[in-house]
Amino acid sequence: MSTSPVNVQNVFSGYAPSEAGFDEFLDGAQQPRAACRQFVDLLNQMGVAELNRRWDQVQRLVHENGIAYGGYSTPKDKPRPWELDAIPLIISASEWQAVAEGLQQRAQVLELTLRDLFGEQKLLARGILPPELVFAHPAFRRPYHGLIPPDHCYLHFYAADLVRSPEGCWHVTGDRTEAPSGLGYALENRIVISRMLPDVFHNCQVQRLAPFFIAAREMFRSLAPQHRENPRVVLLSHGPNSPNYFEDAYLARYLGYTLVEGGDLAVRNEQVMLKTLGGLLPVDVIWRRQNSHACDPLELDANSRIGVAGLMQVARSGRVAIVNSLGSGLVESAAFSAFLPQLCRELTGEDLLLPTVQSWWCGDPQSCQHVLANLDNMILQPAFRRRGQDGRLAAELNEMPRDQRAAILKANPSRYSARQRVARSTAPVWETNLQPAHVALRAYAVSSGRSYMVMHGALARTSKALAPLELSIQRGEGSKDAWVLADGPVEPVSLLTEPGAAVELRRIGTELPSRTADNFFWLGRQLERAEAAARMLRSTAGRMTGETPSIDLTEVPVLLRCLADQGQIEPGYVVAEMRGQLPAIENELARAVFDTSHSGCMRSLIDELLRLASLVRDRVSEDTWRVFHRIDEAFQPTRYGTTSLSEVLAMTDELMVELAAISGIVRESMTRTLAYRFLELGRRLERSQQIINLTGSCFIPLTTPLSPVIEAALEVSDSLMTYRSRYMANLQLAAVLDLLLTDETNPRSLAYQFVQLADLVEQLPRQQSQPGYSSEQRIARSLLHSIQMVDISAVAEAHSLDDSKQLRRLMENWEGLLPRLAEAISHRYFVHAGPAHQLAEIVPQ
Amino acid sequence: MKYDITHKTKYAYSEAVSVCHNVVHLLPRTLPFQQCEQSHLLVHPEPARIGQRLDYFGNRVSWFAIEQAHQGLTVTASSRVTVSQRSPLNTDLTWEQVRDTVATDKSPQGLDAVQFRFPSASIKPFAALREYAAESFPPGRPMFEAVTELTARIHDEFSYDPRATTVHTPLEEAFAKRRGVCQDFAHLQIACLRSLQLPARYVSGYLRTVPPPGKTRLAGADASHAWISVYFLNGQWLDLDPTNNMVASTDHITVAWGLDYTDVCPIQGVIVGGGKHTMTVAVDVIPVEESA
Repeated sequence: MSTSPVNVQNVFSGYAPSEAGFDEFLDGAQQPRAACRQFVDLLNQMGVAELNRRWDQVQRLVHENGIAYGGYSTPKDKPRPWELDAIPLIISASEWQAVAEGLQQRAQVLELTLRDLFGEQKLLARGILPPELVFAHPAFRRPYHGLIPPDHCYLHFYAADLVRSPEGCWHVTGDRTEAPSGLGYALENRIVISRMLPDVFHNCQVQRLAPFFIAAREMFRSLAPQHRENPRVVLLSHGPNSPNYFEDAYLARYLGYTLVEGGDLAVRNEQVMLKTLGGLLPVDVIWRRQNSHACDPLELDANSRIGVAGLMQVARSGRVAIVNSLGSGLVESAAFSAFLPQLCRELTGEDLLLPTVQSWWCGDPQSCQHVLANLDNMILQPAFRRRGQDGRLAAELNEMPRDQRAAILKANPSRYSARQRVARSTAPVWETNLQPAHVALRAYAVSSGRSYMVMHGALARTSKALAPLELSIQRGEGSKDAWVLADGPVEPVSLLTEPGAAVELRRIGTELPSRTADNFFWLGRQLERAEAAARMLRSTAGRMTGETPSIDLTEVPVLLRCLADQGQIEPGYVVAEMRGQLPAIENELARAVFDTSHSGCMRSLIDELLRLASLVRDRVSEDTWRVFHRIDEAFQPTRYGTTSLSEVLAMTDELMVELAAISGIVRESMTRTLAYRFLELGRRLERSQQIINLTGSCFIPLTTPLSPVIEAALEVSDSLMTYRSRYMANLQLAAVLDLLLTDETNPRSLAYQFVQLADLVEQLPRQQSQPGYSSEQRIARSLLHSIQMVDISAVAEAHSLDDSKQLRRLMENWEGLLPRLAEAISHRYFVHAGPAHQLAEIVPQ
Repeated sequence: MKYDITHKTKYAYSEAVSVCHNVVHLLPRTLPFQQCEQSHLLVHPEPARIGQRLDYFGNRVSWFAIEQAHQGLTVTASSRVTVSQRSPLNTDLTWEQVRDTVATDKSPQGLDAVQFRFPSASIKPFAALREYAAESFPPGRPMFEAVTELTARIHDEFSYDPRATTVHTPLEEAFAKRRGVCQDFAHLQIACLRSLQLPARYVSGYLRTVPPPGKTRLAGADASHAWISVYFLNGQWLDLDPTNNMVASTDHITVAWGLDYTDVCPIQGVIVGGGKHTMTVAVDVIPVEESA
């Protein structure tokens, strides 16, 4: 294989889709279709080697995004449901225009259907829809009825699943109206693929996705009931444990909206408020990503832990706009598809422009008979969709033997819908060569004024087998970017505000949601915890890989005790008698580093660090993120055989550098907002704790000879250089204790931490009206005062004469105060309100 | 009959509640056979916001929010209501006529009734119940006869036992135990009727307790009560009380109706804080002497 232009290996040579079906790239004569011709030529010129090279490079971006926006609920989870493919789907301008017009009409029909069902219900009186379809539907909740959205729009975001039939026409297989997912993936796919193929992307004149998001932003802006110019829009996510968290975080960051969970919002004075450190701030628009029925535990699902009590009433009064309107998911149920042609004629006087794959609601006896007679060609679906719960059910249903399916259907016909099985088109998927895979397309529309704007692009999903694409969007093996071509040159568009527009200068930081402050605080703690563990690990591993057998070194038992205190190794290694019965520590240590069944092991600490970092992903810079990503990549057990201790040592060295890089970025590039202060508070608190632990393990009781232990303690606390510059090689207890504890000029000393803590606490927002000092101020001052009063020479002298009481008492005092400080901060700033719960209900007697 | 009704609910919390949001169904409807002359809701401590609206079924809903820290909550609803005899029903109808006519009736009354034919949050169908119901509904039987018999059977075959069930006991369990309170009996009978595709709704309200001869009525001993309403076509409904095996008349005061208890729960609330809480309910239904 060669990369020279004369002798490149064609990307498309050898691609041979089945002749029976419709292929997106090649026609019946195996020639590129008109829309794809230029793309095929450009890729063939590029050649296999170059494509592979670029693809490898861009994979890293995909992977980084995955960690960045994935929920990290458990580190083993795949953050995205499918792999991105290198080859986009290509659709001509004219073809997409027809699809877009069809989708606009469809969105309009569904919007009018919602408006009718949550209003006058003429569709029932006129017999267009059977009453059962509405009244037996669990999503038809009475509180939604009569709730008129501020802009009279129920359906702001709409998505449709599309399939191309063997004849080459796009058909709709399903509608999404509740809170269509996949938009974030479509965006991510575009960003990745256009970065990989910038030249091809430019030459092919691909229409941009940005106009869609600009329209969305305009829509949000226009919705704000009060502060029209600068409305506060929040993206209400289901939280990090939800499969949609990736795109929630991705979209929030892309559009610049605050990512919140139900617990971050509260209703006060008939208004939705965001809980921030500076108090409660009014919210104008909620971009709802969770199910409607989870949104208000008072009027909807009493068991919902992610809702906001009283939200329905605020929505009813028009003091908050919710996108999509509560209850909008009703019409995405499969049962409605069967009635769409009639609904379209009734509500718009037109016929459906875009064909729908034929579907039936089995609650209608004739339809049910038809479905039963043609069961082999049908996909059965629950008629009344329950978002997020149906996927597996539907999959199981369609894998059952025919008789069983028929029996289930006959027992409760009205609960099922059926749709014709369809042959799907294929498109090439890049593996080591191009292979055909079936394609499903999800297209998006956003309301704009009186109509809808359809995104010029889509999310494509692919699968080798047909079945997975039929059901939930989470299924399938791969996803693709979809390129809609333009007829002429494409103007660049940007989501940034126009240069002329006035920007209000702001330096506020109090808008930080309390939950985010909490996360930063813990991120700070975890950064320090990881660093302390890494230092200890490095010092120990360094001695074990040295020339002298480690067991002969005086400081090794002390270091082992420190490691055990941190939870990095079995506590048994501290006890000399037990050590003999355990596997040799030299062999065991390398294994323990990656034993994630223990929360204290180095890799577990890193996982927790990444999890915490991902929770504040929308507020951490790209560079910081890249470092986190490198840590994740580099600190891994070797793929070949067992990881040796010297490999661990090398990795730990690298880890120390990366952690220092993060600290550097934080110090130099992070604005001194509240986020920074909480991160620093966490870090200083944790470092204080670590210094106390280290001092205790090394010097209480004193070991002889003392010098090696002193040297190890100085090394672990990164104070060895300072010490040598001051005292040369003369290792003295008093000098060491001064450096570790009372020297305010050493950034590694306890006194330094206490100075910082007192200072940080002083700068936290608090109500001016409160007299005296707050509890966290009092504790921080008391810590600082107590360490400044210490006569360290006297303490060290007593200590070396075997009177350890003084040092012990000091340490116990500090150790007691630190958790109280953490608690006071958490109580004032993080715990805005406890969890909400239901009042006991009255039983009628 | 004219009544003065006081329904007082008191919550006491072990720790302060910082915020509460409530939705209550405590003010009686006005109906062709029931006049609600005055009604009043008193909430203590004073809510930051309070309001009223009609819900989907036409019930009067009050909502309020208390945003200052409080140790207890008292909600008192007082109403004066006059209940008169209801207009007579068409007792010739067979139950199949009701079932088949309502299925295709697209009039406003028909559409209002048909929604009460389907499963709801607390009333899900199950096979044993369908069989139990079918016994009273042989082909061609007049509707009135069939439903009153079903009411009597539930009254006779189920024991009244407040300890057997809670608000959240599933219907299937109450059915298996053959025990429960008025809420369970109402849910059971509704489920029976819906299994036959007959519209039936849950009614929440009060019952006048008739004192034994020679004794004064015990005030405050009463609680909120529940019974059912079954459809008789043309917008007409029959109210039946399976707990007392009777056709509801001027002793029953209607507050609200819905698909089941969850739609008309007297007091719903979400609180923040509060620790453990206790609740006491007192209902007085006092007949007012008609001045001659």
